[in-house]
Amino acid sequence: MSRPRRDPRTERAARLLPGGTRPRLTLKAAPLDHFRRRDPRELRLRARVPGTARPRFDWTRDVQALASPAAAAVPVASFVPGPIRIEEPAFWVLAVLDQTAGGLDETDRRLLSVARRFAGSTGGVVALCNPDPELATAGADRVVRWPEAAMEPVALETRMAAASVLIQALQPRHVLLSDDPVAGGDMARRLAARMGERLAADIASLTAANDSQPARVGRKAAGGREEWLQVAPLLMTVAADAFAVDEQDLREARMIEPPAIDVVVPRLRDFRLLPVDPEHLPLDETDFIVSAGNGVTDFAAFADVAAALGATRAGSRVVCDAGHLPREKQVGASGTVVTARCYLAFGIAGAPQHLQGITGVRHVIAVNTDLHAEMVKRADLSIIADAQRVMPALAQLARERME
Amino acid sequence: MSAAGFRIVVLLSLGRHPVSGRARRNPLDARALEIGLRLKAAAPGVDLQALHAGDPTEPALRDYLGQGLDKLTVLDLPADHDPVQALMAAVIARQPDLVLAGLRAEGSEDSGLLPYCLAEALGHALVPAVTALDIDGASATITQALPRGRRRTVQVDLPLTVTVAEAAPAPASIAFARARKGRIEIMAAAGQPDPLLAALDRRPWRQRPRPMPVRKKGSAVDRLREMTGATEAQGRVLIDPDPREAAKAILDQLSAIGTIRVSQEPRREKAGDDRPSLLEKDP
Repeated sequence: MSRPRRDPRTERAARLLPGGTRPRLTLKAAPLDHFRRRDPRELRLRARVPGTARPRFDWTRDVQALASPAAAAVPVASFVPGPIRIEEPAFWVLAVLDQTAGGLDETDRRLLSVARRFAGSTGGVVALCNPDPELATAGADRVVRWPEAAMEPVALETRMAAASVLIQALQPRHVLLSDDPVAGGDMARRLAARMGERLAADIASLTAANDSQPARVGRKAAGGREEWLQVAPLLMTVAADAFAVDEQDLREARMIEPPAIDVVVPRLRDFRLLPVDPEHLPLDETDFIVSAGNGVTDFAAFADVAAALGATRAGSRVVCDAGHLPREKQVGASGTVVTARCYLAFGIAGAPQHLQGITGVRHVIAVNTDLHAEMVKRADLSIIADAQRVMPALAQLARERME
Repeated sequence: MSAAGFRIVVLLSLGRHPVSGRARRNPLDARALEIGLRLKAAAPGVDLQALHAGDPTEPALRDYLGQGLDKLTVLDLPADHDPVQALMAAVIARQPDLVLAGLRAEGSEDSGLLPYCLAEALGHALVPAVTALDIDGASATITQALPRGRRRTVQVDLPLTVTVAEAAPAPASIAFARARKGRIEIMAAAGQPDPLLAALDRRPWRQRPRPMPVRKKGSAVDRLREMTGATEAQGRVLIDPDPREAAKAILDQLSAIGTIRVSQEPRREKAGDDRPSLLEKDP
């Protein structure tokens, strides 16, 4: 069957507007039967609400008109799904979060992400934590807040009692904690000793459960020379470098009642943070790095600004090659891959190898003369200026205003 | 510190060199022993006892003696037996005021659970990741190693079990003569084969590539950009500002992140950082 032949002359005659000396054509010609392409102008005209001075459009009105062949390709207003709700999960996975920085950090997100992998599509994830608005996007189906008495930093025993009461009530299939030896790892071992359970410490691999077999976990053992694989037990801690933080669907994060507990008198008391010299911290441990690149020539001012801000000094490969900084201060693919929370880069253009080294950094501030440098694209705040002028000003202002 | 009758028990395990696989001192237990030996040297009345569960004929055990220990008590147990019960009985019999152990063993399950089981059985308070210990009467002031190189101090009453972190002072080197002179006392011990060890699959450890997150959306180009962090600028850009103004912008940003504290403008954009931390109170 051949396509009906178009006659351009009759089409043109149909669009000709009457009157006037010069021929005027309308654009509002009726679509031809075979003309199946979407005509936005036509759709817009049909959706126009008549009788208002300002153009108003009602895209839901006049469905009949939209049902014409020309309108068949009109997209329906996209359906925005709500959070995923799991009312009666097949089992629970409990994640006890550290929240050492107050809000949700990388460790807590990783824990929830691994818990989600354990839960699959049928299980539910419960987070025992301080409520946080980001829990719903991090993968928590339910949230249990710590009881008021467990909020004190020294109240380790009360937190442990709260966790064990919740485990009793909820009967989760797995309980996940972080591997931090003074936070989640400590709590996991306390729980294991109290409950008489074995602990799978620092799991590094996970095979999710399926119909035929339960979830299995692997971990480093025998002094780091063997991997031990076993059926996932109740209590596990999650190795920090073994799992990435997966992107999660929006979840409900519904609050449920915290367990009623008896307050336990804390045996540890008087926690006090000690001041540390940031200059002597290894780069992969420190939280705040001030870094110099090829754009820095005044290294005295650079050292001064690092001291004023209380940051650890680091440098790019060029700077370390030139001997301005020792080799262990090099950031990048051939140096240290850093995980600091904040990275202040002076005169660094952002070679891919350097950017690889700061992949794990949360906040980047760049001072650079080149507006189009890769580092400027990576940064949350970029100052397009000469580092030699900014560094002394920053050091002075920091000394004036920092507590 | 009231030295007379102050009893310390150090738990020593056998380490395994990560590359050669040869038996050696567990570096964390050696640090725990070092703390014990320093406490003993500071107050001569202290009774320091060292316990090991395993094969008493292992030559690497003498390395602990070479560190300055006079006598090591070994509970004779086969390698696949669970040492918790035997050690628990031995430690309870000694009624120590302080139990020292490394953060974790090296060469077996390495879960770091044993000191917790002992502390639970003895009714001791437990402090993990200790780097320094100062005993004053019936209480102790302890320095703990936190992640990210930070340290904190804790007060706790005796009796006490501590696990010692990597950041504790390095152990003394091994003196050959002391290693020969020290005594190894063998004690018979009862134990059960560990059921977990029979249920395990073992295979050589293989370092895995860096884990990649599961992405729900975005093209391959987006994922690559995200991996290198070179996403398009969402950040603020100040072009050629006055240095003073640039410094103020940087300082404000740092205080908004919560990295530093600025006196005149206590502005905090990040809601998360005002919430209570379960780790510690700032000084």
